[in-house]
Amino acid sequence: MSSYFDLTSGLWKWSSPVWLLVLSLIGLYIIFHHRALGKRTIFFVLAMLALALAYVSPIGVLSDGYLFSAHVIQHLILLLIVPLFLLLSLSESAAETLFRQPFMNRLGHVMSVPFVGWLSGLGVMWFWHVPSFCNASTVNYSLGIFRDATFLLAGLAFWWPIFSPLKRFHLSASLSVIYLFSACLGCTLLGIYITFTVISVCPAFANPVDRLGIMHFLYDQGMTPATDQRLGGLLMWVPPCSLYVCAIMVVLKRWYAEMEHLNSPKTAGTTSSLREAQS
Amino acid sequence: MTTGSIEQSERTSLEPPVTSTLLLDWVSTLDHKRIGIMYILTAMFYLAIGGFEALLMRIQLSMPNNTFLSPEMFNQLFTMHGTTMVFLVGMPVLTGFANYFVPLMVGARDVAFPRLNAFGFWMLFFGGLLLHFSFLTGSAPNAGWFSYVPLSSKAYSSLQGVDYWIIGLLIMGVGSVSGAINIFATIICLRAPGMSLQRVPLFVWMMLMQSILIILALPALNSALAMLLIDRWLGSAFFDPTRGGSVVLWQHYFWIFGHPEVYILILPAFGMISEVIPVFSRKPIYGYTFVAASSVAIVLLGYGVWAHHMFAVGLGMYADIFFAVGSLLIAIPTGIKVFNWTATLWGGEIKFNTSMHFAVAFLLQFVIGGLTGIMFAAVPIDWQLTDTYFVVAHFHYVLIGGTVFALFSAAYYWFPKMSGRMLSERWGILHFWLWVLGFNMTFMVQHFLGMMGMPRRVYTYADNPGWALLNGISSLGAVFMAIGTLVFLWNIGTSLLRGKIAGDNPWDAFTLEWATTSPPPPENFTVIPEIKSRRPVWDLNHPENADWKTEKTPADRGIRPNLPKLAAWAFIASEAVFFLLLLIAYVIFNTRSGEGAVTSSVLDVTRTGIFSLFLIFSSVTFWIAERFLRAGKQSAFVLTLGLTILLGITFLAGQVWEYTGLLTNNITINTNLFSATFFTVTGFHGIHVTAGVIALFVMLMMGIKGNLTADKSHVFGAVGVYWHFVDVVWLAVFGIIYLGLLQ
Repeated sequence: MSSYFDLTSGLWKWSSPVWLLVLSLIGLYIIFHHRALGKRTIFFVLAMLALALAYVSPIGVLSDGYLFSAHVIQHLILLLIVPLFLLLSLSESAAETLFRQPFMNRLGHVMSVPFVGWLSGLGVMWFWHVPSFCNASTVNYSLGIFRDATFLLAGLAFWWPIFSPLKRFHLSASLSVIYLFSACLGCTLLGIYITFTVISVCPAFANPVDRLGIMHFLYDQGMTPATDQRLGGLLMWVPPCSLYVCAIMVVLKRWYAEMEHLNSPKTAGTTSSLREAQS
Repeated sequence: MTTGSIEQSERTSLEPPVTSTLLLDWVSTLDHKRIGIMYILTAMFYLAIGGFEALLMRIQLSMPNNTFLSPEMFNQLFTMHGTTMVFLVGMPVLTGFANYFVPLMVGARDVAFPRLNAFGFWMLFFGGLLLHFSFLTGSAPNAGWFSYVPLSSKAYSSLQGVDYWIIGLLIMGVGSVSGAINIFATIICLRAPGMSLQRVPLFVWMMLMQSILIILALPALNSALAMLLIDRWLGSAFFDPTRGGSVVLWQHYFWIFGHPEVYILILPAFGMISEVIPVFSRKPIYGYTFVAASSVAIVLLGYGVWAHHMFAVGLGMYADIFFAVGSLLIAIPTGIKVFNWTATLWGGEIKFNTSMHFAVAFLLQFVIGGLTGIMFAAVPIDWQLTDTYFVVAHFHYVLIGGTVFALFSAAYYWFPKMSGRMLSERWGILHFWLWVLGFNMTFMVQHFLGMMGMPRRVYTYADNPGWALLNGISSLGAVFMAIGTLVFLWNIGTSLLRGKIAGDNPWDAFTLEWATTSPPPPENFTVIPEIKSRRPVWDLNHPENADWKTEKTPADRGIRPNLPKLAAWAFIASEAVFFLLLLIAYVIFNTRSGEGAVTSSVLDVTRTGIFSLFLIFSSVTFWIAERFLRAGKQSAFVLTLGLTILLGITFLAGQVWEYTGLLTNNITINTNLFSATFFTVTGFHGIHVTAGVIALFVMLMMGIKGNLTADKSHVFGAVGVYWHFVDVVWLAVFGIIYLGLLQ
């Protein structure tokens, strides 16, 4: 039996073509955003790191036919993490330049319709976990690339009404909370289904081709196909919901802070006035 | 204090009405304040019953091997004690305070739907009566407040007790949801001008959160109760493992309701404390936004951690880990609040009166209850301590040390507003110490008993070392609490008769309820003060130090949604959860069903598909009718509405046809799990369509008589929200059951 340390080198895929995408995005970011490089750049770096990790690290290698749970982590990174960081990396001024054009402005407005983003985000998750589609996209390389692209685009659409760099595309606070809470509900339902169903959601993972000779190791660690699927379901359920709760907190912070900003207090709020009043 | 308040309060203080219709006045009242008081009185009545049950149990447990109660009676008592305290004391008393104070605090004349408000109260009242009527049958419910199956199934609980429990809870559940929709709509739609949602008092904010919790959590219980009732009465097998059912499903559904229920009981208490501590510290609350936003986090997280009540079931390591982490996360927003309250006290000019005594005790005791809750989030500790007295101690520290102490604090704070008279501080302090001593004597020692291994829900115990002493202390403490309650009642009685006149604002408090007389007139306010901050009454009484001069808060943009439509949306949100859980049960039971009647063998998908088109088309005709109504084309409106009703009835006829076919082929609800889930889901949907048809028929009659015109189109629109919802549910039902999606 292989030990963990023997396997580590095989679990990294440094030759992944994702580097081409990373380099292209870095190029685009520098071209369109070089005037507004600042703190936001850190989000872009994080987005690129997450994107690279999704394919280069063991997550990418194991999601390629070995572990359904790794496959779910990869999807979550592509759908929720990378697009979120990409949007956060865009400054308002750079985005305004881009979205001043009529077509882009119209596109921005279409994407800010809550139903579009919600359906995109939830839709891809559900669609690609219908057993036949899940299986086909795992077995077929080209279809897998297409699936991953839909995750990235749907993620951008999903986060756009909440974290668009331009405030005019944001949903109201109450709608944002409903949007994110109902998205959590959608994830929960899918997660519950995958966790508790007796059907193999992605049959390709039930009988993997052991290219790297690690199946015994995985099974020894308790990662049998049934356990793996349950873990995948829980990953699809709990982490996204936790992320949405955090996003709701950000929305609420904005809700209180932005309005206070609108009122532009000249003096900082003080609570000492009360005690002064008593004296 | 507002000038002239004492004179006003003397004029409006509680003088016994001389009219002979006093009882009728109260029974038929629609005034939110009277309904609030009736909720509180009902809760106090049941507190006496639930408390008496607790005392009987403590007498039984005061010594080892006691025979004061039989095991059967003990089972009935702990079941009824839990059920009564949760559903007939905790929820009603909080709803009562909300009923009384939310409209006052937001500057409204009444709640959004006064008749619905009265309906909600009477549902609770009669539901409670029905539940307790079971004692007269000789078999009160005895399967615990969460009535786990298979114990609560017909095979193990063959008498009627559990049936009374189910029906009573269903009726009270309807009352709770209608009350919650009312509070929700009142807060969203009836706030006085100037009161943005970011400026509402924290008690109001917490009630908004609580109403959302009730609207979305109660249906989970209702769906589980419906299935249990069908199991018991019609012989289905939802929860019968020998026929493919699942007992764990009951636990999931119960705790999907049950865990949010904890927050339903504690969030309003947080709101009360957030009113009391600032007023008696003479400071605004520290970090209003943190307290408010962390409550949202609690609501959201509260829905996702139910399975920590089920660690002992054996859900698997990964599920345990995820739910443990989720449960631990809840400690963060809860802990934030404790820091906020403490920081509010810090540096304040604290007035340490009875209300504040209870508030400070709340802080300390709730932290203890919270910390033991965090212990239970650790799975191995849960395995060790589950079903011991440690659990009993933990949740009583939350629900008594937390909720009840906050309620006492609020009672001393708000009694002057409700009655026009002050409660006695002397009796109040005695009440406080009796309760602090009694409560901590009763429940602190139960932590140790639990760790020693004493199981809960067992009628007696062996004379193990130390157990008799600790149980004796526990029982003695219960007596202290009982005496303390009598002192409280005495205080109320004597204060009502000869208590000091309170005046409008005896505490120099901050929020709108103190801007009117004590007690308030039927219309609540003569004039509502200008609202430019979170403390309008402070601003009014201390204009030189008004909050808005130094601390800006988000202004009111005047957005108030349409009331009937908002209520309709809240209602269908609740209904959606109900159907969702029934559909989940269908999917769970039919993905593994390989034998007996299944969709493909017994259902005529094409025929039902055609009838479905009638229902879908009725949504279109409804939409057209709504447009005609808005355009003032009355006859066209009546015609298209009539067509909508006809289409709805046609769909129902199709369902009758389908049912007749199944029944003649001997496929009934108790045939197998497919038939049970099929009849339950489609049956409840059919009931909803029927209710919708009746509502549409009422609209039609109003339209024909000319009472439903363009200016009332929003009412029709609200009915439309429901009708379209029924159609959407059917699309899901058709997809999952008839087309076999997800199988």
